[in-house]
Amino acid sequence: MAITRRQFLKRSGAVAAGSALGPGLFGNPFVRTALSETIGDRYLIVMLLDGGNDGLNTVTPVDNQGGTLRTNYEGWRNAGSGGIRLLPGELAATGIDPDPNTGANLALHPGFIGSGAGAGGLKALYDLGKVAVVQGCGYPEANLSHAVSSGIWETGDPLGLGIGYGGTGWVGRYLADPTTGYGGTDIPAVNISSSVAAEYRQTGTSVIAVSRLRRFGFPFDKQNDNGTQLQEYEDAFLAIHAEASASAQPGVAQAGDAGSSTFSASQSYPALHNLYNDDPDRAVFEALYPNSSTGRDLKEIAKIIHGVETGQPDIDARHFWLRNGGYDTHSNEGGATGDHANLHNEVASAIKVFWDDITDMGAEDKVCILIWSEFSRRIQQNASGTDHGSQGPMFLIGGKVNGGVYGNHPNIDPAAVDSKPNTIYSQDPLDPFRSTDFRDVYGTVLNHWLNMPPGVILPNVLTLDTGFPVNTYWTVADLDLPLFVP
Amino acid sequence: MGDQNTPLTEDDARQLVRRLGFGIPVKESKKFRVSELVGLTRGAAADLFLTFKPKGFKPKSSDIEKAINKWYKYILKRKKSLALQEKLVIFYHDHFATNFSTLDVQEGEKDAIAMMAEQNKMFRKNCIGNFKTIVKLVNVNPAMMNFLDTVVNTKDEPNENYGREVQELFTLGATDLNGEPNYTEDDIGQVSRAFTGWHHDIKIGTHHLHEEDEHDTTAEFPGRGPKVIFGTAHPVGGGHNYGGFASPQSFITGGEAENEIDEVTEILFQHLDTDGENTVARHLTFKLLEYFCHASPSKATVDAIVTDAGFVGSWEMVPLLRSIIVHDVMYETAVPAPFGALTKKSVRWPVDYTIGTLRSVALKPKGGELQIPGGDFNNLGELVAEMGQVLLEPPSVFGWNWEESWVSSAGLLARYEFVRDVVASRGKFKPEKLIDTDLTDPGDIVDAVTDQLGVTSQFTATQRTTLIDYLTDEGTNPTLDLNDFDTRNRKLHGLYGLVLQSVATVLH
Repeated sequence: MAITRRQFLKRSGAVAAGSALGPGLFGNPFVRTALSETIGDRYLIVMLLDGGNDGLNTVTPVDNQGGTLRTNYEGWRNAGSGGIRLLPGELAATGIDPDPNTGANLALHPGFIGSGAGAGGLKALYDLGKVAVVQGCGYPEANLSHAVSSGIWETGDPLGLGIGYGGTGWVGRYLADPTTGYGGTDIPAVNISSSVAAEYRQTGTSVIAVSRLRRFGFPFDKQNDNGTQLQEYEDAFLAIHAEASASAQPGVAQAGDAGSSTFSASQSYPALHNLYNDDPDRAVFEALYPNSSTGRDLKEIAKIIHGVETGQPDIDARHFWLRNGGYDTHSNEGGATGDHANLHNEVASAIKVFWDDITDMGAEDKVCILIWSEFSRRIQQNASGTDHGSQGPMFLIGGKVNGGVYGNHPNIDPAAVDSKPNTIYSQDPLDPFRSTDFRDVYGTVLNHWLNMPPGVILPNVLTLDTGFPVNTYWTVADLDLPLFVP
Repeated sequence: MGDQNTPLTEDDARQLVRRLGFGIPVKESKKFRVSELVGLTRGAAADLFLTFKPKGFKPKSSDIEKAINKWYKYILKRKKSLALQEKLVIFYHDHFATNFSTLDVQEGEKDAIAMMAEQNKMFRKNCIGNFKTIVKLVNVNPAMMNFLDTVVNTKDEPNENYGREVQELFTLGATDLNGEPNYTEDDIGQVSRAFTGWHHDIKIGTHHLHEEDEHDTTAEFPGRGPKVIFGTAHPVGGGHNYGGFASPQSFITGGEAENEIDEVTEILFQHLDTDGENTVARHLTFKLLEYFCHASPSKATVDAIVTDAGFVGSWEMVPLLRSIIVHDVMYETAVPAPFGALTKKSVRWPVDYTIGTLRSVALKPKGGELQIPGGDFNNLGELVAEMGQVLLEPPSVFGWNWEESWVSSAGLLARYEFVRDVVASRGKFKPEKLIDTDLTDPGDIVDAVTDQLGVTSQFTATQRTTLIDYLTDEGTNPTLDLNDFDTRNRKLHGLYGLVLQSVATVLH
């Protein structure tokens, strides 16, 4: 991880193109550009299940039907003490559509039913037709290092480490593309985090990292004010950082940009907290969000969406990021209850309340949540958990998402897996278990949600699947258009 | 090009003190003060810093926050080489990362603190010892054995967590300095076999056990193949094999028992990059340079230091650290502003930025909670956490995210808040004791403050003018009377705030 995570690229905090920064910026830090044509009035939320989510216990075969998925599943996953097998009875309440290939009935992990104010969870949203489950997502030659595989997903480059993209993230490249219309001083994206995610790494616009909006104000020494002192301090602070931004040294320039943009954002974003909490319609939901990291993070995103929807000045962010950590379940994974179940419950409950909140705002058709994890887990369990594995499911959730099951369940037949055993990524058009390439899911989102030709952001996608013709780009025949309702 | 005989300039000496410790402390033993270091050769300074006997401190307490604060308090007070000792402990803590909260879930708070404290003491005791010894100690360190699941790695249900990270993070890296993979998934599986059957006894503390009946043997598991690693054909071709070994290396030459993990370690330390250089030596040196100097050190610099230290084979930390301290890489970032495109800069770690600042302005946090006595009266630990760092709690086995992650908007705001709390500590933060208050010329005052903090050369002429304009209200008051309470309280406190929040202080 050292190299990718520590390259001094423009990933961090608020980053703006140096050339766009002049004295004028600071006189009027929020030169709001016309709303981008690209995302329109929509929002994209990227959510990482950090550590490698166990796909086989996320979308689980309940029976065999025309294949042997359930039999094989039971061969890999033990029942009883230390076992992580999900029993058919435990999956009865979370059934979804069958596997397109084998016809096996599938179910979400029972944790996805949610609890408390989020009861119903993802299963309820699935039943509303708002959840697309995309099975078997991966890339050739799965890399099982957390760092390397995360880098592959974040850059969209299966060659590893984003070599083809200069280490930039796929969302970052999209934001920085000239056609999006975002300038160096706009803040089109907010990451609910202490640092900016690698997907958002780029060089063109500002991405800010916020943990809690309430605490995002600039900390002036107010006891020190004599009426003009704070303004004098602000002027000096901004001038010193503007000078740093002009440095030829990239790290100094970046830190200068980050300081300036942070100051600017600190003047507009904290107010969104009270704006949301003081709105009686929102306060109802404020109280419902689970007191979990995902619940708290999604609430911050809801506050920003509320700010955009109510037309607050200088609030333009339409792209968000958050993470839910703890998926590296080498031990104590659990089955229908336990660590993995608790994580899924946390995610599902928080998303359900968030969904209800944005629906009440009338914004549900404008939101798309993309959920990914850097890899799945070993299909054969160890004493009480699972080591690193290859392909797993992705989720897309939103009012305009055409819900259902897309892509094939990975082939877990003992004869079809590698020696670890892990499932094998395949793009053989004749393979009934043909895999889904994660870049195709990105491509679909770019194409139909962000209105960006995917080739602009993922230009090398066509040349990497060597041996297959260009028209196999869409690895799932029905993934491209039907994934979103027009 | 300098070497061990090059005398330290004032900027060099400041840089060295900052890099090897935490800020430039107001209270320091005479020999270690910047004024005394100026004129010493780099080699003499290196020997001064590297000649010490590590202390036996460990951050143990009844609850985790108290334990963390105990460590902060300890660092705040270290003088002489012991500041370097703590810098090194934090390096190992990041490199061989385990965290309290994972152990807490597994074993409960009391044992989790005990294991973290014991590991911390081990890093301290060995901080200027032998790197191979440290890796061997980490292999059987209770906190690590829990954190990376060695304790549940058994012959029937092997667990690859440690077998992977001991290669990817602790010794080799996923790829070598040429970008080529260092090992295969099979190598991970085989190394994991060596670690089957290991446990530890929390009650006894560091005592570790090997259960023969949980250990994977080739006789019992012939399907898992021979117990060998590396030596298979490398994808770069050209006759190169993984690790540069002519053939796969057996780690059971001493039999199939507890000797295997030491044999694996010996093989790891012989692993070569695809260009024939030792992998462990390069990997560790690269990371030390990132930590003490700047991101992305060049391969040539890494190799020069490894060679100068005679590190391959000796694995001794003192000569390696000495070679880093006498190399230009330690001083090249101290050049005066404005910086060229190729000048290397590095983001100071939150713990370095905060504790270094407190030491540089002689401000003592209050009480057991280490409250900063001004502004919002935040506790030190909370502020450092908001900057993205909690000691004893690195986010994952990868340690903390360095560099760019430290300058996110959230992280920077926390730094600004910390500085505000410091300069607003009325009656506690006393700039009148740090500089001469009889100065009246605004330029002299700016220089006195930046000199005192050791960052004068890091400001451009334009930035210096901005600071002067701030003092004079754009020329309205051409001189200042710092002996006037209001002027001092407003302008001198404000000046310290601006300098401490500036890029010049955030980076080094």
